[in-house]
Amino acid sequence: MSVPPLRRLRQVPRHLLVCEKGHARHARSRHAAHVQEHAYNCRVSFLIPECGILPEVLKNTIADVGEYYLVRNLSVHELVAHEFIDAFVKKGSCYALTYNTKIDQDNTAALLPNGKLILSVDKDTYEELGLQGRPSQYSGKKVMRYIITIDLTDSGFHPDSKKHNRVLWALKEKKPLEFDFLLAWYNTGAEGSTLMSYFSKNQIQALKPKITFNTLRDLQCPVLQSNELQGKPDESCSTEELFEWLGAVLNQVSLDNKSSSFLSTYCCPQPNTIVEKAFLCTITGFIIPEKIIQLLEQLCCYFGEPKLAYWLTLTVHGFADSPVSWRESEHGFHKGGENLYNFVIFRNLDYWLQMAVGTNDDCPP
Amino acid sequence: MAGFADLNLPQGLDKKSLQSLLEAAAHLGYSAVALNHVVDFKEKKQEIVKPVSPSELFPSLPIVQGTSKRIKVLTRLTLIVSDPSHCNLLRSTSANIRLYDIIAVFPKTEKLFHIACTTLDVDLVCINVTEKLPFYFRRPPVNMAIDRGIYFELLYTHAIKDSTMRRYTISNAISLMQICKGKNIVISSAAERPLELRGPYDVANLGLLFGLSESEAKAAVSTNCRATMLHGETRKSACGVVYTVKKPRKVEEEEATLPACKKAKTQA
Amino acid sequence: MARAEPPAATFERRVLRSAAEHHYLRVRLELPDGGARPSVAQFKQLVVSALRELHGEVGAALPVDVLIYEEKTLSAILRVISSGLVKLWSALTLLGFYQNRRCAFRVLQTSPFLLALSGNSRELVLD
Repeated sequence: MSVPPLRRLRQVPRHLLVCEKGHARHARSRHAAHVQEHAYNCRVSFLIPECGILPEVLKNTIADVGEYYLVRNLSVHELVAHEFIDAFVKKGSCYALTYNTKIDQDNTAALLPNGKLILSVDKDTYEELGLQGRPSQYSGKKVMRYIITIDLTDSGFHPDSKKHNRVLWALKEKKPLEFDFLLAWYNTGAEGSTLMSYFSKNQIQALKPKITFNTLRDLQCPVLQSNELQGKPDESCSTEELFEWLGAVLNQVSLDNKSSSFLSTYCCPQPNTIVEKAFLCTITGFIIPEKIIQLLEQLCCYFGEPKLAYWLTLTVHGFADSPVSWRESEHGFHKGGENLYNFVIFRNLDYWLQMAVGTNDDCPP
Repeated sequence: MAGFADLNLPQGLDKKSLQSLLEAAAHLGYSAVALNHVVDFKEKKQEIVKPVSPSELFPSLPIVQGTSKRIKVLTRLTLIVSDPSHCNLLRSTSANIRLYDIIAVFPKTEKLFHIACTTLDVDLVCINVTEKLPFYFRRPPVNMAIDRGIYFELLYTHAIKDSTMRRYTISNAISLMQICKGKNIVISSAAERPLELRGPYDVANLGLLFGLSESEAKAAVSTNCRATMLHGETRKSACGVVYTVKKPRKVEEEEATLPACKKAKTQA
Repeated sequence: MARAEPPAATFERRVLRSAAEHHYLRVRLELPDGGARPSVAQFKQLVVSALRELHGEVGAALPVDVLIYEEKTLSAILRVISSGLVKLWSALTLLGFYQNRRCAFRVLQTSPFLLALSGNSRELVLD
């Protein structure tokens, strides 16, 4: 059906916001699973109202977020080599994502911790590679993008198998693909080689996440009630109001405007209270879910001792150009590549979880 | 999907202005541009010169923002035709014409629009955006052009410079959309200065103003431009594009991808 | 913020589909070197006049907020009701002049979520 041109001017691109509430200590709570399933994260921020100095244990957790690596001009076939699979993919959680590639324009590759290698490629590359894939969900009637998923830990993918040899041949000879990759590896035993030594022949660089601290003074904070997701007039604010407010705080938007103001009419949702100090920490890099779960756990423990704060927040931004959002759900970039989530942890360890995605995305889990 | 392209940067500028335009285009995220050489047959005897080689003009091209690739620069020839005799040149196998990556034609009359859509061997048909449409778009030639893999070009710079032309741009675009249903549209700038260029996502949003859907609008600055370039390549080689990939091996092992699959690509 | 502790929350899930009331744009105004920089009020005026020029009085009446504006970099975050996104964006794109000098609005990012504007991976320089 064609849409009259004028109506098109009023349409908005599709987007989804999922809001959940639950209890962090509930046996069947899936909140940690949602963190684990969101593999590629570029920024983590947490905001603690009524907090001037960060407790030592949280400082240590942040310091432990860990290194990641940037490897230049790495051929994708090196990620399907058996030496690599045995040393890293099978011995922990290995994360890889192409750096400086745009999912709506370029070829992109990502290695998930479950051993799946995902290639999101344009039609030309797909035809030249000759590997089996499926059309991208967001490519329209004329398919211009394909998704190839290779399970590196599949039992049929052993070194001598036909499958393995074909993949290796396709990526090595048929259509060699080369990218700059962000890499991170998480394993519980400290044994084995490191990415740094494994890729020593390549141009590899170890990077540390950038961490910034900020103390916000006299901050207007919305009043929230954990069991009222939609808020109650005059009693507490809704989850959408909180979501916008947090965006305003992280973007340093002024919160006290009037409805008659010429410049901006945005104001902190009602009801609200003013907190004297709030602590804001931002970590930027290639941050793996395991570390975010540790941080989330420590933030829950923050309420182990009596605190003035009634709640705190933890925000996680995904990579706009990652080929997946949660699990293996395809992710794309139309006008923006938003895939982010935010936790509100309440004093009684109830939580709110907000998951947001843009136009070319499945519904979050 | 493909990278973003602006298929119309005027070639007539001095080198310094052109350099700053290329830099602005790369900075805005365009991965390819075409330098447009315009020939207007109304102005006395016009000769078609050889295209300037971009690599000679600019030994080092700017890097596309957020990538490690350099911007790709193509050559384009636009013929402004107001009389059927002007088209003879396109039918002849003029050597210089074949050297251009993209050939566009700007028909001034309905008859010439019909000829351009149905018989001329071109890649782009320019749509008038600076005055009231001199003729009606009709379905048969437009559909024929779409079937032949020819694209229609709309320009946006005039709409930035002048409010009257802005009206013509939008209304002519909407008239065209009524007939072509949003298919085979390319939006380019014809910008002479960096401040007249707009980013690819901004231009895609303008497409909505012209009556395109979200995906058609984005295609007008990406996949449709790529298809135009491939159409140009096919035209140049007359029978389809064959890429040969040289390998550091013996001659008999050299590989060539099939022309059949390339043909499919140019249609996409 | 002190309140009586409510009982532990039972699980609840709400899915909001394309329901955002507002859209947000991070923009930068580009001016020729040496041009006068607009103050925040002039900046807002410029946005409104761009809307009026393309969409008339109805366009000029669209509620648009300048959430932040940095005069030094000429960058801003704008908020607009969702149904006005395409109108605001196209008006900014087609604006060509500020005080009779050429100018260009660059839309750096748009999103239905203000929070998304605080972490754009396309602008991160990690190395």
